[in-house]
Amino acid sequence: MRMKVVLTTLVCTALASMITLASMTAPVMAAWRSYISHPMGFAFAAPGELEVAKGAYRGAVAGARATSVYRFVDDNIEYKVEVIDMTDKANDSATLLGEAAYIFQENNKLFMDAFGAVDRQYGRKLTVDLPNNGGRATAAFYFIHGRIISLVATVLPANGDYDTPEAARFIDSISFHTVRAPDNAIELPAPPK
Amino acid sequence: MRKLIVATLAGAALSVMAMPAQAAWKSYVNKELGFSFMAPGDVKTEVGNSRGTLAGPRQTIVYRSIEDNIEYKVTVISFIQAQAEGAALLGERQYTFQNRKKVLTDTFALVGSGKDTVYGRKIVVEQPDNKGRTTGVFYFTKGRMFVLEATVLPARSNAAAQDPDRFVESIAFALARMAPDAIELTTPELE
Repeated sequence: MRMKVVLTTLVCTALASMITLASMTAPVMAAWRSYISHPMGFAFAAPGELEVAKGAYRGAVAGARATSVYRFVDDNIEYKVEVIDMTDKANDSATLLGEAAYIFQENNKLFMDAFGAVDRQYGRKLTVDLPNNGGRATAAFYFIHGRIISLVATVLPANGDYDTPEAARFIDSISFHTVRAPDNAIELPAPPK
Repeated sequence: MRKLIVATLAGAALSVMAMPAQAAWKSYVNKELGFSFMAPGDVKTEVGNSRGTLAGPRQTIVYRSIEDNIEYKVTVISFIQAQAEGAALLGERQYTFQNRKKVLTDTFALVGSGKDTVYGRKIVVEQPDNKGRTTGVFYFTKGRMFVLEATVLPARSNAAAQDPDRFVESIAFALARMAPDAIELTTPELE
């Protein structure tokens, strides 16, 4: 009986030590925060520090466009929200959205191409493997209020867990009903001029 | 040897006679709505109805023919007052088309090239209760939604027939390239 108690104590102590060690060696995961843009009418959540930049987009139909980029990196996953202003060609929204999704998957190995339906907005969700072992990218594309809103989560090779749920968590966090954003959502700043 | 050749030719002639008569494919154009397509059989013009959560109730213009147990249907819906909502309206229509059906393929579809490209989707589904296989393409351009559907009916044994692809891929929005002998379609009055 006494031997059984000793063994149980030893096993429990060993397990507790292993759990403590594992949590100490795991990468520090940044907290997820909510972001909102009232002028552009969308909200999403992402981990890590927000970087705001200007970007560029080009499509045969869309032409050359400046974009607003909201970027985060955490645990070797890059999270990127890109806003492309198409208000001058909004009447071509279906084709412009199709073109953006097409360009994303062109020349890449396509894993998934499905409907993305959020708050009465129909878009596309796609997953591709990037060339030259550049990682796996999951994206969602929507067209709302004259703008293409794209969310892309790229699991970099240094992370290696290409089936991580974090990418889907980011992609599926988009909302076009800003009333649903949490009270503490951070207002997105305008990109630098 | 001569008998063999005669017998072979006679057999071939008999088998051709036994095949169902295939109607010729003709080109059709509607200059007012800005599109053209090709279809076999006798194309009839109808007014239809559709309803979507986003789109609401709509009257539609339908061009339809049936040939060799394949139904060919072109549906045109006007959204002139909601052109900027085209992406969501098209997405809703595509979603409804495949909802609760077995989806065989769902891919990008393109018409035209360069800056004149029109992007859409091509979806193939099995209809429930063995009612056939439908190939659909969906486009939204210049304020109108264009849906081409070809349904291989159960009476036709070969569900993988090539004619549906030929039909849906014949759509064109650049009328400058239309066939010179294209038959002009009328646009029915909507209420």
